Amino acid sequence: MAKLINLTINGTPVTVPAGTLVVDAAKKIGIDIPVFCYHPKMEPVGMCRQCLVEIGRPMVDRATGQPVLNEDGSPKLQFMPKLETACTNPVSEGMAVFTETAKAKSGQKEILELLLTSHPLDCPVCDKGGECPLQNLTMEHAADESRFIFDEKHRAEKHVPLGDLIFLDRERCIQCARCIRFQDIIAGEPVLGFYQRGRNTDIVTYGEPGFDSIFSGNTSDICPVGALTTADFRFGARPWELKQAASVCSQCPVGCNVTFNVRREAKAGGGYVIKRVMPRQNEQVNEIWMCDKGRFAGYQYTEAESRLMATPAGLDAAVGQAVAKLVESQSETVFLASGRLANEDLFTLKQLAAALHAKTYLYTQHGGGEFTTAYGLTSGADLGALGKGDTVLVAASDLYNEAPLWHLRLKAAAQRGATLIVAAARATKLDEFASFVVRYAYGDEVATIQALPAKDKIGEAIKNANNLMIFYGSDGLGLAGTTALAQSCAELFSISPVSQLTGSPVSQSASFPVEQLTGKPEDRTTEQPEDRTTEQPENRTTRKSNTGLIGVWSTPNQQGALEMGFRPAENLAAELAGKTVYVIAADPAGDDPALAEALKAAKTVIAQDILTTKTVKLADVVLPAAAFTEREGTYTNGERRVQRFYPAVPTRPGTKADFALLAEVAKGCGIALEGRSPLLVMNRLSTAEPAFSGVSYETLSQPAEQWPLIGRSDLYYGGTSYENKLGLGVTLALQPKADRQSSTVSGLRPKENEFLAVPVTKLYDLGATVAPAKLLSAHIERSAVAALHPVTVEKLGLGAGDQLSVEINGAQFTFRAALDASISTGVVLIPRSMGLAISAPALVKLHAAEKA
Amino acid sequence: MSIAEKYTDEIQAIFAKYPVKRSAVMPLLYLAQRAEGYITKGAMAEIADLLELDVTEVAAIVGFYSMYHDEAAGKYRMQVCTDLSCALRGADAFLENLCQNLGVKVGETTPDGLVTVEAVMCLAGCDKAPMFQLQQGDQVSYHENMTVDKTMELVEALRKSSKQVDE
Ligand code: SF4
Ligand code: SF4
Ligand code: FES
Ligand code: FES
Repeated sequence: MAKLINLTINGTPVTVPAGTLVVDAAKKIGIDIPVFCYHPKMEPVGMCRQCLVEIGRPMVDRATGQPVLNEDGSPKLQFMPKLETACTNPVSEGMAVFTETAKAKSGQKEILELLLTSHPLDCPVCDKGGECPLQNLTMEHAADESRFIFDEKHRAEKHVPLGDLIFLDRERCIQCARCIRFQDIIAGEPVLGFYQRGRNTDIVTYGEPGFDSIFSGNTSDICPVGALTTADFRFGARPWELKQAASVCSQCPVGCNVTFNVRREAKAGGGYVIKRVMPRQNEQVNEIWMCDKGRFAGYQYTEAESRLMATPAGLDAAVGQAVAKLVESQSETVFLASGRLANEDLFTLKQLAAALHAKTYLYTQHGGGEFTTAYGLTSGADLGALGKGDTVLVAASDLYNEAPLWHLRLKAAAQRGATLIVAAARATKLDEFASFVVRYAYGDEVATIQALPAKDKIGEAIKNANNLMIFYGSDGLGLAGTTALAQSCAELFSISPVSQLTGSPVSQSASFPVEQLTGKPEDRTTEQPEDRTTEQPENRTTRKSNTGLIGVWSTPNQQGALEMGFRPAENLAAELAGKTVYVIAADPAGDDPALAEALKAAKTVIAQDILTTKTVKLADVVLPAAAFTEREGTYTNGERRVQRFYPAVPTRPGTKADFALLAEVAKGCGIALEGRSPLLVMNRLSTAEPAFSGVSYETLSQPAEQWPLIGRSDLYYGGTSYENKLGLGVTLALQPKADRQSSTVSGLRPKENEFLAVPVTKLYDLGATVAPAKLLSAHIERSAVAALHPVTVEKLGLGAGDQLSVEINGAQFTFRAALDASISTGVVLIPRSMGLAISAPALVKLHAAEKA
Repeated sequence: MSIAEKYTDEIQAIFAKYPVKRSAVMPLLYLAQRAEGYITKGAMAEIADLLELDVTEVAAIVGFYSMYHDEAAGKYRMQVCTDLSCALRGADAFLENLCQNLGVKVGETTPDGLVTVEAVMCLAGCDKAPMFQLQQGDQVSYHENMTVDKTMELVEALRKSSKQVDE
């Protein structure tokens, strides 16, 4: 722990760790020093000079080294001739800071006066008006009249699209560089820069496409003026008309805390409409950030034209039909549900299926849940606490595309000193920040992971890790591949439950010591050595909370489904024939023609969804569900943190929340299930499911003070991200390990003229929850590429960008060819959810597409 | 032709001087400027690739320094400072008058291709405004406490001397 320093600010004593900046020390005791360029998430730069204060430091007699005292015995203070910036000065012992003296106030006032000489003051038409730090600080600290009578105000371009998501108003920019620094330091994508100097300074981006970053929306949140606005919100509403609804992003397993801003609109018949998505602070999950997918595609799909709706009578009739089918089929029913459902929905489904003695399957191509439930993260986990001594392994996952905020936080962890090992078959954006990059050929995932401990430095980093956190994804893998990968990753923890899985007792001479999971040497003193060989997960009381296995799922709540025992079917198509299939929040028919055929061969198909999918179209009974924005519920994120979301807008007519629909169907079947409110469902869930014990809507909604202070009264300091008043969530308890035989994956070997096609995930794709985001259409279009080694592209007689035809199982599909020199020549990367069904590696034929 | 092809040896020599690759950005920009008289977007992208920087980072350096140019110009660049201190000493009026006399707008080049007039930020000659710096290739000279008349005389002299050289 850092040394503590005592100082006074405006006479109030405060004690803070050494290294704390004066501005932050003041904030801690409720003293606001105005800032523009300083942001508590970034190193200070002292550019704007807004934070001027007087700083006195105790004088020391050079000869004696003794403090010089005043007559009254108090230490004599020494002041610099000029005011100092509170954001660049760290505290020191005995310091006396004055933020409110006439001298300090006039300094702050004059800086504002200068800033306003080149500001357009178009607040009445500015989107930031109402939540603008410049506006607020002007009201609080500025003079009411300017002494600069410039006839001609500073004039500059006002609607400059930096990309298709962010617009720049050059006149309003106060040149604080927060946006530039965010992109460089936090996002690691330095695509913004200053051009020119002085009053001519401009924000520019030279990349192609413009403002090429997936975190660009955050710059608008931390811009202290209305210079950066988002394409979706500009001229859309005034901040003071907006109400807030706390929610959780549903686009990936990170589960960023967000706030939906809503207002009533005439065009919605006076009803509530979502106007924008803003990040909501949760320092353990997303800090104060979110990615552009969450921001620009976060709720748009819930308003898609393809939304399912019914009349209330129609809904009742549909429920009646579903009941009739289920009563008839009973245990001949198969339920198929995805991790798009909330915990409450899944639990209700589980009970219904149990009562009918029917089968349930999790709809996913990403296996390994039996490992993440037993080796996942536990309470207290925080990626923000990873640092020196900790080791993070990212295996077969392109986090930048699959879970952007994890990418961001692991980049930061690596920069804090954590050892980051990235094992992937192709180059990913995280490589740049990795301590070790392990490149393998697609198909060699498991062998690669198994070989890691034997590698010199990497083996050391894994064996000696203070905390060992492992992320495994599905890059180039299907269900069997991901399951095997999960197992090989879990084996790295090298503890007895893992060795029981493979049937051999762990021995002290195992390739690496079992203690590593139990933390630092000093933590182990109470342990009996003989216990170590039989340790069970639940006994590992000293286990470090930042140790565990994380699946990089493609849905927000797959972890929750797994915790309740939902598992994918190894051969799903075969399970459906002749059965009554009840599909919820999944589109097997749309994803895979083979599954469409299988559904056609089913006896009956009941589809419950929010959107009109292919599966819905071929269903016999359709139940329209409410979207997550219209109801309450909880998701369990990949870190096993259960988080609450709240309704933002009213439920659409003729739709109900999934758990309520299921409870109604159950009731028709003579099964009594809780369907009144998700809170009541959670009460039952937490009693029935051991992992959820202790979880309740009350514990979930417990806020806690977080640093930095952000939100409404502090928005000049941290930006417009919302303060978290509705809970940080609760992390689940670990489950006992499951019995499992080690699985083998048979490698595919391309024959002549064949290529190994592997599925990869793109952030922006044509998935049902992304495609309706109109603003992202150009970004989605850029994902329609199949990547090949440059040599292969040349051999095929193609160039980058040319049309490439991919032939898979007789079906043809065309992509633009992209180059990726990091893969082998026999491989083609096929984007998931971009038109060609590919759920696992497959052999394909490639050729140049016929010119149209 | 790319600068990497045109100046292979010089680039190697520059790289040898800097242990950290990105430090070579300024000399590489000079090379690119020498090639075309100004730095093209293509050259910025190429330098970014060579140094593993984002092209915007390279562009920002071009933008910061008034001795890097991102557009073609006449034989001479006359860069008048219009920043705050100079503005208080009449730089704006000086620039306006000068442009009228030369028959160009700020940023434009005289019809004979001799002089391009530019407005730039502080050149550290604040106490001797109106002032400008005159650039031709690698040559730079400061002209301080200027009047429009004095400047027009200078332009005439430049015109003559460049004619003599041309003839
Ligand atoms: S655009 Fe906003 S964040 Fe960026 S430098 Fe200008 S004022 Fe600061
Ligand atoms: S990182 Fe994931 S959860 Fe967070 S905003 Fe992006 S898509 Fe949503
Ligand atoms: S100089 Fe301190 S906030 Fe800008
Ligand atoms: S302000 Fe013109 S040279 Fe400094």
